[in-house]
Amino acid sequence: MSQNHNIVGAAEDLIQEHFELEPSLEQVIWINPEKTTEMRLLEINPETPPTGTVLSFYFPPFDDFPYGTKIAEITPEEWERILRHEIPLPNGWTLDNYKVYSRETVTI
Amino acid sequence: MTAWQNWQAAFLKQAQSDWEAYQKATELEWPNCQRLHYLQMVTEKLSKAFLVAGDTQLKNLTGSHAAFVKFIRIMSGNKNLQIALGMKKSQQKAKFNALLPLAREIELLAPALAQGGPNPEYPWEDRSGIILAPADYSFPLMQRLQKTPQGTQLLKYIEIFLKRFEELFM
Repeated sequence: MSQNHNIVGAAEDLIQEHFELEPSLEQVIWINPEKTTEMRLLEINPETPPTGTVLSFYFPPFDDFPYGTKIAEITPEEWERILRHEIPLPNGWTLDNYKVYSRETVTI
Repeated sequence: MTAWQNWQAAFLKQAQSDWEAYQKATELEWPNCQRLHYLQMVTEKLSKAFLVAGDTQLKNLTGSHAAFVKFIRIMSGNKNLQIALGMKKSQQKAKFNALLPLAREIELLAPALAQGGPNPEYPWEDRSGIILAPADYSFPLMQRLQKTPQGTQLLKYIEIFLKRFEELFM
């Protein structure tokens, strides 16, 4: 099994879990999914306080989850502004390649 | 160590030092404004220790005080923490959600977010026109932190994050 396949499965399990836990979570954007050692996730949730910035928290790999994870919670309006390049992404993150997950596209 | 690891270690060290000051201020029964000032700084720097490692731009870190609520929200779904604390996923989520109102109150102590109201650093004018010094204000938040289950739990988690940071998050 390739490393990329592994990270896709791990990311999708994590995203599914977050949809299960957070009823107000609308979408999860997996930024730069081509990276095979870390996940960059934007979680779109209207209940998060808007800050006009992308505050991404880092969690290192651990035994049960061997990938570093960077997660930021943003509002739907902030996501629109990111797409219009009005709010910058964290250093090194790009919109060149990303996957969008919604409650309907993951099996809960 | 890489640059971000150095920044993370520095934010963590300062948060731990602020926590020590918070505890000493509590033991010495200093005015609530001094205790809460330290506590607000602990929570801000603790949150920023995670942000600086998450590619967050440094100017966003130094220019913003609103990080602790997001930190608690993100932590509510953290698997590593769930395993370390021996909690179920739904239990962890519910516990951390219950802490959000107090986390918000702590975050709003930063003068930049207090909107000209009570804060532990600078005097303000209340609705009746009376000018108050933080040292003369009781800060009911302190009671809620010390006398409610959510308050004591939030303080306990802050201490766990600070003391077990290397083990859990590095």
